[in-house]
Amino acid sequence: MPKEIPKNMAPISQDGITRREFVTRVGATAALMAGSVIAARSLWQPNHFVPGFEKQRGLQLPSYALALDKLLPSMAIAHGEAHEGTIRAAIGALGGMGRFIKRGDVVMIKPNVAFDRPPALAATTHPDALRAVAKLVFEAGASKIIVADNPINSPAGCFLKSGLTAVASEMNLELMYPALKHFSPLQLDGEILKNWTFFHEPFKNANKVIGLSPCKDHNLCHASMTTKNWYGLLGGRRNQFHQHIHSIVSDFPLMMKPTLVILDGINVLMSNGPTGGRLSDVKRMSTIVAGTDMVAVDSYGYTHLLERNLDELTYLHKATERNLGNCNWKDSFYKEVQA
Amino acid sequence: MALLQKNKPPGGNRHSFVRTPIPVSENLICVVLLVIIAAIGVAIFLKGRHFDPDRFNVKVSSLNSTSSSVVGKSQTIAATTEIESDSTKDSTKSQTTPPRPMPTESPAASTETGGATDGEGGVEGVGARSTPMVKGEPLEIVLEGMKPMSPTEFYNADNLYEKIDGRSPAYQNFHVQALRCRTFAVTSLPGSFVDVYEYTFDSAVDAFGMFSLERDPKGKPTDFIADGYYGDMGWFFRRGLVYVQIIASDQNLQTITLAEALARNRARELPENDHGLEGRLMLPTKGLIPQSVSFIPDNAQGQAELRDVFVAAYSFDGERIPFFIMAAKPDEASRAWKLFHDFCMRFGKVEDLPDVKGSKIFSAQLFGKSKVVYVRGGELGGVFDVSDVNKGQAFIEHYLRGENK
Amino acid sequence: MINLNQLLTLRNTRRVAQVFFFLLFFFFAFVTDLRYLKGYPVSLFLELDPLVAFATAITRHTIYMGLMWSLLLILPTLLFGRIFCNWICPYGILHHFTGWLIGKGRAQERERIEANRYKKLYGLKYVILIAMIAAAVGGTLQIGWLDPICLFHRTMTTAILPAINLFFPSSVYVQQYFHTGAWAIGFMLFILVGMNVLIPRFFCRVLCPLGAFLGTLSTFSLWRIDRDVTKCVDCDLCLKNCEGASDPQAQLRKSECFVCFNCIEDCPEDALAFKFLPRLQNEISKPAVPARRFFLGSLIGMAFFAFGRASGASGRNYDKKVIRPPGSLEEKEFLGACIKCDQCIRACPTNVLQPAGMESGIEGIWTPILNMKSGFCEVNCTMCSQVCPTGAIQRITIEEKTGTGLFAEEGPIRLGTAFYDHGRCLPWAMETPCVVCEEVCPVSPKAIYSHEVTITKRDGNTITLRRPFVDPALCIGCGICEHECPVTDEAAIRVSAIGETRSRDRRLLMDGGVTSSVRDLEKRDR
Repeated sequence: MPKEIPKNMAPISQDGITRREFVTRVGATAALMAGSVIAARSLWQPNHFVPGFEKQRGLQLPSYALALDKLLPSMAIAHGEAHEGTIRAAIGALGGMGRFIKRGDVVMIKPNVAFDRPPALAATTHPDALRAVAKLVFEAGASKIIVADNPINSPAGCFLKSGLTAVASEMNLELMYPALKHFSPLQLDGEILKNWTFFHEPFKNANKVIGLSPCKDHNLCHASMTTKNWYGLLGGRRNQFHQHIHSIVSDFPLMMKPTLVILDGINVLMSNGPTGGRLSDVKRMSTIVAGTDMVAVDSYGYTHLLERNLDELTYLHKATERNLGNCNWKDSFYKEVQA
Repeated sequence: MALLQKNKPPGGNRHSFVRTPIPVSENLICVVLLVIIAAIGVAIFLKGRHFDPDRFNVKVSSLNSTSSSVVGKSQTIAATTEIESDSTKDSTKSQTTPPRPMPTESPAASTETGGATDGEGGVEGVGARSTPMVKGEPLEIVLEGMKPMSPTEFYNADNLYEKIDGRSPAYQNFHVQALRCRTFAVTSLPGSFVDVYEYTFDSAVDAFGMFSLERDPKGKPTDFIADGYYGDMGWFFRRGLVYVQIIASDQNLQTITLAEALARNRARELPENDHGLEGRLMLPTKGLIPQSVSFIPDNAQGQAELRDVFVAAYSFDGERIPFFIMAAKPDEASRAWKLFHDFCMRFGKVEDLPDVKGSKIFSAQLFGKSKVVYVRGGELGGVFDVSDVNKGQAFIEHYLRGENK
Repeated sequence: MINLNQLLTLRNTRRVAQVFFFLLFFFFAFVTDLRYLKGYPVSLFLELDPLVAFATAITRHTIYMGLMWSLLLILPTLLFGRIFCNWICPYGILHHFTGWLIGKGRAQERERIEANRYKKLYGLKYVILIAMIAAAVGGTLQIGWLDPICLFHRTMTTAILPAINLFFPSSVYVQQYFHTGAWAIGFMLFILVGMNVLIPRFFCRVLCPLGAFLGTLSTFSLWRIDRDVTKCVDCDLCLKNCEGASDPQAQLRKSECFVCFNCIEDCPEDALAFKFLPRLQNEISKPAVPARRFFLGSLIGMAFFAFGRASGASGRNYDKKVIRPPGSLEEKEFLGACIKCDQCIRACPTNVLQPAGMESGIEGIWTPILNMKSGFCEVNCTMCSQVCPTGAIQRITIEEKTGTGLFAEEGPIRLGTAFYDHGRCLPWAMETPCVVCEEVCPVSPKAIYSHEVTITKRDGNTITLRRPFVDPALCIGCGICEHECPVTDEAAIRVSAIGETRSRDRRLLMDGGVTSSVRDLEKRDR
């Protein structure tokens, strides 16, 4: 039977709801439905992984290179007898160390200390070269210099016997030996180097990087100069790369963009590299090459210091093809001086 | 108001009310829902039949007893593929042997973790991934004016790269077996030292091969050993199966004197062995350019049959003549000669020369250079890379007539 | 004559659905066994559970594999409302059935009507839901305590099925299974189900967080119960069988309505109908939770997370007994992914998996850990990882677990490392030969090796026996040695959680491979 409608109930106008209400309600529900489908789809993990065995996301190094200065040369070749004088001349031709190093910078110098050879055998960075570069860097106002390398065998012995420990204590440089916690996985979109453990600690606080390498024959990749120098920063079982030595060395200009590289060609290891061992393997070429493009510097070193045919040096050509440098050093703005 | 009073039904349970009529649409919806439910059931049934048996099927065989012959640790690690050398300490223990009986002391000797290897104690888990230890006799040399600066280091072919990095493949090509090295400090000169490197190869021939590969053409011959030379900072020689390098850190008199003493010591102490070097002995001495002897294990001059070849350079008639010689069985030698002959015919000009004392000779010009190759019995040899073929031919004829001994 | 028209009502269809899904649930519970599993999707209910998908999306930032199925429930809920609660949810069906059987199902009509009125207490489930979501935002997943599917699966696994097997031996297991803490889990279910005597559908109305979640979603439902006030005579008969206590006789609470269609059947005036977009004036659409309750709930949830983590059981102070199944995530992530459904425990063929107590802290209660006294981890088995719905145990393959085939370079998954107790080991301490452990060690080469020793016994005779050692580089922590050790009260070789590969900081040794710079660095100490 019909009844009175209580006052608190709304009057029944008609059966349906307003069109506006229809649209808002259906729209809200439809939006929620679509939203949940989209959210679920984007968050979906359709494949499993094995916990603990994931490839770690590695770090990437920032670039330590400065912007190209069209007014100053990017490569300098200096001829002279003494390390300090010739290095000064080369850097001076580039515009002075002040072009690269500013007051307060923390500079990481990467020498080649792969072996425990005495300095006269030119298998490692010469202590006089490190001393000269450190002097110039401090003169430019750097607050700290870190020197580090990862020779696989006995870093303390290698630094000592190559004479660099003495320079480090004399010039008050921070010598950093590799330790377990100093390594981090590096991530790179390289030809061979994708994800590998890397001696990262020396770079953590550095804002400038200088590569200081000798000029050496190498029985696997023909020459070890400023590009191959960065090999020393890799950890792990890096001998695996011997089979792909040209590919991996061409990855180095991608991995590392230093502020400056210096090739010590005062004494050059002409044969039986990289270890050398005889004084007769060493030839005095009395040259220092400094530049911002390690590929260009190496191309000069191979042709003029090791006196060989550049066609052999596959990794330089690979690097040039990948736009990581220019193996025609004459294309760059260079200056040749006498110390 | 009475009208607002709830029209309550009488108390107690009534029979369930049955709603009529039920709209046909509801019936149809019910049918659809029932069909959906049935479909779900069928789908689950079918899903149950499709599965990958390997995914989670326990392999029944693995539930069998896992007992197998129980041997000591060195046998149980035979299957590891990764060879690493943990040449940590100087120790006179020899290479791994089947398990030695443990000492009869109390178990307190082992650590609580129970993973101790060879009684060295401590949780040596780190790095002790069951590898055969590369050990050997420490390099103990007692000489005046020096003392050891570091312990002896040992390496095998697989971890040699840790010491000499990119140079190691060159050594591995000659089948290096081990490196033993040590540094000795010069007591009178702080900071000066001498490195002693001893590379052991699998044969005297291979040791010679590596030695000659690194030979300094300007090195001065040593007087205390035949296969040796020295330079301004080092002594290098082959003795037996070992290629020795003595490297001084500087050119101070005390350092060099010590280095020479060490070289003489090693040349004396290491055992002699010239097995397989017979070919070298066949090399004529007259006109031999010093320090030019080298050894090519295989593929000499790009020929697969030319292996274990000794090469030396001679000064003859104002010219530098490279000469090679291979010692083999007669049928191998003549076969290699024939193949070499045919190869030269394909790629260059060949002239068959008259026999000299029973040896067959041909000369060839290809790729701008000339060769003259002979074979007699089990000996195959010749000159190569000469610009003047006549001089080359003359050299060979002299040699075959025995005039070049 | 069967009147199809009368028979094919929505209420009857619902009953068919209830029987079907309840039997399906029991089927899944029974068939989660190595012998019968085949390809059946035994975790389907958990994968359909929208709260599981939602909460794991918050903690893990992903929807793991099969959890996409929950869309199949979310979309109909957004259309029709809480159909899950009365049509599909096996726990709800259990409560519905129990309520009918022993609750007010047969009581006087008036009593039943009063029992089904809405009470303010029914807002508690929303606070519980908010607390659980807040805890998930912090990073710990605690929905498993009260999510009905998780709860029911867990009780089936740990309490009900073993109980059935106790009374009917070999009906469920080959050998009787035992689970630690089964009494608590079993009684929890009994108490909750027993509460139906006092309040019908107690759990579903008062505690169920999934119901709260679905109730929140049904605010937007397009189909709703609509009461025609012109026809309604206020007899309250619709409340007689109302499952959800949604007050259809007054202002309908859509978030409580279970869509059981009982009210439609019971109304003598035909005043109720399930309509598309009815007017909302006679309705309370949103859940009735005041803002301060909302705030309180989130505070409790956050506090649970914070206090739980601050107790430190998942950090450095980890318990060595927390050995997780193979394929498990790293501990903190595991606690953010495990819904305590114990499906893995059900699937495990050796009964080694047990619901944890406080070993992994309060967050880890009822999560699975291995107890080697009870069983061991069969090397060639990944059953637990196949049934885990959330990816707390990733769905690994046997190759990945054993480090064979494509994964030979990476090596096997290690659960832990075995350590000897020299005071208990027979050859070490009791002059008695044994080495059962070495015999049963399943890896090749064996992780247990022994050295021969000749000792003089107490009676003066000599004896030669083998004393065992563990190589931690080879041990995978499977626990067969501990399980088979004849010293059964506390084995002389015991597996401990250190060395597990899932956790970077609990590794005993480096893994080799790419990061073996450590190996090279170790050699520098020459």
